[in-house]
Amino acid sequence: MADIKIEIDGQIVNAKAGETLIAVTDREGISVPRFCYHKKLSTSASCRMCLVDIEGVPKPQTSCSTPVSDGMKIHTQNDKAKASQKAVMEFLLINHPLDCPICDQGGECELQDVAVEYGSDVSRFSEGKRVIAASDIGPLIQTDMTRCIHCTRCVRFGSEIAGMMEMGGTGRGEDLKIEPFLAQGITSELSGNMIDVCPVGALTSKPFRYELRSWQMASVDSIARHDLTGSNIYAQTYKGQVKRVVSGDNEAVNETWISDRDRFSYEGLAHENRLLAPQIKVSGQWKEVEWDVALDFAVKGLNKHVLNNRKAHQLGGLASNTATTEEFYLMQKLLRELGCENLDYRLNINNLEQAIELASNIKLEELESIDYALVIGSNLRLEQPMINHRLRKAQLAGAQISAVNVKAFDYNFKTNHSTVAPQEIATLLAGILKCILEKQSIELPAYLAHVSSGELSLELADKLLNAESSVIVLGEHIVNNAQAAGIAQLVTEIAKRVKGATLNVSMTANALGAQHANFVPTSSGMNANEMLKADMRAFLLLDVYPEYDFHHASSAIEALSKEDVFVVSINSFNNDVIAKYADVLLPMAAMYETSGSHININHDIQSFKAVVQAPEEAKPAWKILKVLADLLELPGFHYENSTQISGELAHQSVHEHNQNSALALNAKSTKIETIWMHSAYHSDVLLRHAKSLSMSKIGQTNIASMSASTAKELSLKEGDYYLGVPVDITSDMADGCVFVSSNQATMGGLQ
Amino acid sequence: MINNIKKLAKNLSLSELRSGMKITAKELVNTKITVQYPEEKTPISPRFRGLHALRRYPNGEERCIACKLCEAVCPANAITIESEARDDGTRRTTQYDIDLFKCIFCGFCEEACPVDAIVETHIFDYAFESRDGSIMTKDRLLKVGDDNEKAISKAKSEDAKYR
Repeated sequence: MADIKIEIDGQIVNAKAGETLIAVTDREGISVPRFCYHKKLSTSASCRMCLVDIEGVPKPQTSCSTPVSDGMKIHTQNDKAKASQKAVMEFLLINHPLDCPICDQGGECELQDVAVEYGSDVSRFSEGKRVIAASDIGPLIQTDMTRCIHCTRCVRFGSEIAGMMEMGGTGRGEDLKIEPFLAQGITSELSGNMIDVCPVGALTSKPFRYELRSWQMASVDSIARHDLTGSNIYAQTYKGQVKRVVSGDNEAVNETWISDRDRFSYEGLAHENRLLAPQIKVSGQWKEVEWDVALDFAVKGLNKHVLNNRKAHQLGGLASNTATTEEFYLMQKLLRELGCENLDYRLNINNLEQAIELASNIKLEELESIDYALVIGSNLRLEQPMINHRLRKAQLAGAQISAVNVKAFDYNFKTNHSTVAPQEIATLLAGILKCILEKQSIELPAYLAHVSSGELSLELADKLLNAESSVIVLGEHIVNNAQAAGIAQLVTEIAKRVKGATLNVSMTANALGAQHANFVPTSSGMNANEMLKADMRAFLLLDVYPEYDFHHASSAIEALSKEDVFVVSINSFNNDVIAKYADVLLPMAAMYETSGSHININHDIQSFKAVVQAPEEAKPAWKILKVLADLLELPGFHYENSTQISGELAHQSVHEHNQNSALALNAKSTKIETIWMHSAYHSDVLLRHAKSLSMSKIGQTNIASMSASTAKELSLKEGDYYLGVPVDITSDMADGCVFVSSNQATMGGLQ
Repeated sequence: MINNIKKLAKNLSLSELRSGMKITAKELVNTKITVQYPEEKTPISPRFRGLHALRRYPNGEERCIACKLCEAVCPANAITIESEARDDGTRRTTQYDIDLFKCIFCGFCEEACPVDAIVETHIFDYAFESRDGSIMTKDRLLKVGDDNEKAISKAKSEDAKYR
């Protein structure tokens, strides 16, 4: 687009032809009032607030819908513009109640601000105002539609960004109501953004309702760590407590949106199950003690059980993937200094020999411009909402997306969906690779000799070959596939052949941070699977909750509870399971309470500060690990803040993984495969304690989906329970597998 | 020389004494303006800004909706409010403290209040004997309001026509 010059309020500015006027004024810092315009949403020009006077045009024009042209002369502040803005303001205030003092938006309300600046001081309207009865649209958003000014930002957000048109306008004129179409209310995983886009107090945060006034809080920027995006957020605090979380802006990461779990997880911080004081177990009884007593107890226990008799190889370190990169680094340094190589964060993987090794070599922003994506084994919308959002943008821009899953998940964009049993995914990919190699006239490697390409393989291979830029997304449902490693290698191979990218979303939270900090065993150490089977004498656990974190929870708990196994458990929350096996409980700071860094799918190292102090005796885990190391008399732990750790970490070389091993497909499993995914709002410990999220539709999800034939094979019917989860017989499922999406612990016993 | 003679003549004629006695004599018969405080009090403007009070509606419901505008506007940071949602779904204060040591009696809180809940009464003759006596808690403020509601509403209605 050509550069043109326009004149705004007597000032000459550069613009691009075709740009909207409001985009130019925003860039130049010229204030134009608006309600319905939002830079990330389509233009509706319905509020009329942004009227400006353009020379040569008889009537004032809305700057959000007027494209600029060369030589245009615009007045935003002359009498004509001001008079029309004032008139629009008066119309908008006709039906808007004057209840700012009891409105949660009061103090951060666009309508309030614009009314002060552009409105009249007295109202000439003395007739009755429109009132709309309150409706409940879910546990996350509070509505008060009497305050609605019909800007339709929430409606446009729903249809354009969330991809679920749950909000809509019914009626016309005076009777127009913005409301959800369905009685279930708003169920989108991005619904909280409607609160942010609403310019008035019609949609406000329900968990935050009547807590505080907006001006009472301090806003601190932070990073959300529940998924691979690392969304930029603002945590708003009052008297040392996080009271609300709103989205931050970062085009490269989360644009201006955040998922509901990033927004509402803070509620868990104040949960009564928080571990608040160090505890030690003395002859079977838990006792709250001072920090020095607890640490001393831990050190003596570790010395007695492993270190004094040089049995560091019988010590194991396990950490949850939600730890900060610094915590991973410090914990592996501590263990390695002790001579222990047994450490792992990959707790949910059944067979780590089949661990997925796959690079993520495409950035979030680049995802928008791909023209073909193949999503394998992921319910992306719930598991990685912001990655899903980028793919959705690509699809809307014309990209084709194919999804290969065990279940026809509800994507919020158009996909070519195929349900494939987990046992068949490797064969499918091998078929795709074979087609591609045949089309490129490359000699087939031995392992592809006996593969026959099915119809689906041919179709997907064609699409991959025809795409200019493609990406293959490998998701979390594959991690416990019997052929997981082979699948990852096939994906790498296919991507290499079609010059496409790969995106590894088979892990989440700060798993990339763990890899960066070398929190994986070298060949001389044991991985998580081996540790649980081996004859261990002691464990050091970092925020581990085996009933949720391990694939096979009951055997993990059994291994930890063995007689004469000394367990030092650093946790942010307490529960009965931990109390059963642990010997020392050290309270750690949860998300928002500690400083550190998170590595996202772009490989951006995003660091954050503690937003609030940890409650009572809880301390940041890096401090606990540092002091533990000091007490164990290990050298090199002189850190005063987490930044020093990050500095040291930056100079460390990351261990190479054996990525180049020969591709060999494991035999596929013949039994019925169960894929167990925790509901998106139960994927980490803080989320599991966030009350409002648990009450939402996604948080309530608890079903074991299976096809009719699988149900028959398992002799289950509708109304029965599979591993403690209600059975849902659906035609959306592939045969020979069960897909569990549950908010329960995996105590039931997966094989 | 001549000045000294004039001064002497004035002194001898007792003119100053006579002018003084004239005022005394006049005041002897004039109405008295001395106020016998505390038995008597001077009249007070309806806008007088004295001790604070929290008011109720005639049905006994407290007016304050915990909008915290008074807290925000207070130039001396004398007001502290904590609130929560009450069972009936309205926001109410759980704590409403005014520190009278900090308060400068500017009346901004009264001006900011959208529901005329916090007001400044005509009470100015109060004292406290302990340090925490300076903190007007919600209960004390409501009590002042309950005890003086008549005077408060009278003053408000007198002032209303000038607003």
